[in-house]
Amino acid sequence: MDFRLVTPCVGLAVAIACNPGTDSGAPPSIRYPNHVAAGESQPPAAEMTNPFASDTASVADGGKLFSTMNCDGCHGGGALGWVGPSLVDGRWRYGGTDGALYQSIFYGRPRGMPAYGGVMSPGAIWKVVSYIRAQPVPSVVPTQRFTREQTP
Amino acid sequence: MQRAYVTLLFVTVLQGTPPQDDGQWTMPGKDYASTRFSGLAQINRTNVTRLKAVWSFSTGVLGGHEGQPLVVGSTMYVVTPFPNVLYAFDLTREGYPLKWKYRPDVNPTAVGVACCDAINRGAVYAAGKVVYNTLDGHTVAVDAITGRELWKTQIADMGQGETTPMAPFIARNRVLVGPSGGEFGIYGWVKALDLASGKILWTAHNMGPDSLMIARPGTFTGGANLGVSTWSGDSWRRGGAPVWGWISYDPQLDLIYFGTGNPGPYNTEQRPGENKWTNSVLARRPSDGALVWAYQFTPHDSWDFDANAEMILTDLVVGGRMRKVLVTFNKNGFAYTLDRATGELLVAEPFTHVTWAKGIDRRTGVPIVDSTKVTGASRGNVKGICPSLEGGKSPVSSSAYSPRTGLFYTATNNLCMNFEATQVTRIPATPFIGATTPYVAGPGGYMGAFIAWDAARGRKVWEIKERFPVWSGTVVTAGDVAFYGTLDGWFKAVDIRTGRDVWKFKVGSGVVGAPITFRGPDGKQYVAVYAGIGGDWFLLSGDVRSDDPADLRPPADFAPDLARHTSQGGIVWIFGL
Repeated sequence: MDFRLVTPCVGLAVAIACNPGTDSGAPPSIRYPNHVAAGESQPPAAEMTNPFASDTASVADGGKLFSTMNCDGCHGGGALGWVGPSLVDGRWRYGGTDGALYQSIFYGRPRGMPAYGGVMSPGAIWKVVSYIRAQPVPSVVPTQRFTREQTP
Repeated sequence: MQRAYVTLLFVTVLQGTPPQDDGQWTMPGKDYASTRFSGLAQINRTNVTRLKAVWSFSTGVLGGHEGQPLVVGSTMYVVTPFPNVLYAFDLTREGYPLKWKYRPDVNPTAVGVACCDAINRGAVYAAGKVVYNTLDGHTVAVDAITGRELWKTQIADMGQGETTPMAPFIARNRVLVGPSGGEFGIYGWVKALDLASGKILWTAHNMGPDSLMIARPGTFTGGANLGVSTWSGDSWRRGGAPVWGWISYDPQLDLIYFGTGNPGPYNTEQRPGENKWTNSVLARRPSDGALVWAYQFTPHDSWDFDANAEMILTDLVVGGRMRKVLVTFNKNGFAYTLDRATGELLVAEPFTHVTWAKGIDRRTGVPIVDSTKVTGASRGNVKGICPSLEGGKSPVSSSAYSPRTGLFYTATNNLCMNFEATQVTRIPATPFIGATTPYVAGPGGYMGAFIAWDAARGRKVWEIKERFPVWSGTVVTAGDVAFYGTLDGWFKAVDIRTGRDVWKFKVGSGVVGAPITFRGPDGKQYVAVYAGIGGDWFLLSGDVRSDDPADLRPPADFAPDLARHTSQGGIVWIFGL
C-alpha cells in the first residue's frame, strides 16, 4: 500500500472523509463574534451552521477522523494540545463558532495549521467540528495553583 | 588558511593537549571531533564557586533555545528559534551591544511542520561566513562582519514534512545539512553545499537503492541495496531517517560521521524489516558523499530510538589496544564505542535503566531484544519500556569529552514509557506517527542525572541525580569543570574530579541549550549558555506556555510541577569570575 497516493477517497482510513454528507462547499465569508467591529457595526457575513451538529454518530466519526487525518499528531490525543494548541480548553485564537472551526480546518491558519480543504470533504470537516465541540472542557482553569499555603 | 587552522585544532585535541586557540568557539561541537572540550583553565574547580553572571540578553523569542552561541574573534553570534534571528554582539564594548542583527524571511507555516517546537540548534563559522538553517528548509550564509546575506539555498521540502532546525557542519568547504521529519514520513538525506556559493554539490539518501545512497558496490558484506531489501515494498520512500543532530569529521580518515533518526511511522507493522539505515551512524566522504560504512544501533525500531546524538571522536585504549574510536550515547540507553575507521563495535553498555534489550551482541552488533517489549498496532499497549522515547539521553543534549580525564560527561534521562501503536495514514506535511506513549519516572523516582562515563570500559564513574530529566548540553574545560543546565532553570558547575555540583545559578527558564566557553577581548575566560525551555518540553509540559490566552493546558502528569519553576523565554547568559 502506498500511502503517498492517498486521496480523499482512497483507503479504509479515509472512508468517512469521502462521505459528502452535505453539498455546501467553502463558505464565502464568516463573522467572528469576538472581534471588535469598527464603528461598532458588524460587516455583513454569512454564519455557517453545522449540518451534523452534535449527533452521536457524527461525533464518533469525527473522533476517528481526528486520528486518521493526523490531527492528533499536532494537537495531541484528545486534542489536549501538543505542538499545536489545545482545542478543548474553551479558548480560541480564531473564533470558536462552528463556522470559524470549519474555516480553520478548511483553509488552515498561519503559524502551522495546514489547509485540509483539499484533503477532506466538507462533510468530513463538519464531523471533526462536531467531535471537537463535543469534548468536555477539562478543569484547566485560569488559576494554576502550585501551593496550599493559607497566607500570602 | 581557515582549513589549515581548523585541522591543527583537531589534531591537537585528538592528542589530548590543549588546542592552540581556545579563545573562540566556531562550530557547534567546539572542534571537528565534537569534544566540547576547552583548554581554557582560568575558571577552575576551586574558583568556580565565585562565578557570577556578568551579562544577559533577551532574544525576544519563546521557542526552545537549543544549541549554542558561537564566538569568533571578538564577536558572539546567536541564532534564535523561529523566526531564526541572527544576532552579532560586540564583545569589546561595555554591555556587549549589537553590531547588527539579521532577520530572514522565514515561512511561518514551518512551525506546524516541525514536530517538536520551532527550535534551532545553532550556526557554524568558516571563511568569514556564519552559516545556519532556517526552520522552513533553507540554508543561509551571512557575512560575519557586515551581517549581509551572501547566499540562501532551499535544501528541504516542507510539502513533504521536512524542516531544518539542525546546525550545519563544515568540512573541506562543504556545508553539510540534513532535515527533521522522522514524525512526518520523510525520505531522509544529507546534502553538501559549496561554502562559497551555496550550490548543492551532492545529495545522499539514508535508505533506498545504493545509487541514491551513494554506496558503491561491495560497501556492505550483506549485499547490494540493503536500503531497499530491509524494507517492505517501497516503504523506504517515506521511512524517515532524518538528520537533525550533529556531525563530526576526522580529517586524517577524511570521513564525516552523523546519526540518522527513527523510521516512520512508529507503528512497526507498516514497515516490516530492519529498516536500514534508520537509527544508524553513517560514515561518508565529504567531497562526494560516498558511503564508507554504516552501523545500525536499533534495527526495526519499535520505540523511536533516533541515533542523532553527537559522535565524539578520540583515541582510547580499548581491550589493551590504542583505537581510533567514535563514542555516542544512544536514545536506546546504550553508550557505544566503535572503531571509526571500520565501524567495528568495541563496547556497548547501558548508561541508564534499560528494559527493551538484554544487551548488545558484541560479535554481531545486534541488540538482544526482549520480545515482550516489541510494539506494533496488533500488540496493544506495551508497558514498562525503558528508556522512554525521550531517550536515555536526548540527542539534543550534546555530551563532552575531557582528554585530561579520558571520561565523557553527559546529561541523561531516567524515564520509562508505555507504547500503544496504531495504524496511520501518510498525508504529506502532516504527522505520520501512530502511537500513544505516556511516560513515568524510572527506578528511583528521579527523572534525570548528569554522569561521567568511561567509554573504554563501558561503565559509569559517577552520577549526580536530578529531579527532572536533564536536557542540556555539556562543556568541559581544562580547569576540570563541567557545566550543564536543568529543565527547572538552574545552570550548574561540576567539579569533575569529585563528581559534585559546586556552583549554581537560576537562569530564568529551563535549559535545553548547550554551554560554551571562550576568552573575551579582555583576556578573561567566560561561560555562555541559553536559557529557554522548549523542544519536547513545550509539548509535554504545555503549561510552561504563558503567551497565548487561547492555549491552556494541564501539566505533564509525570512532572506536574515543572511549570512551578519555569516558563518559556529565551535569554543568553554570560558568566565570569
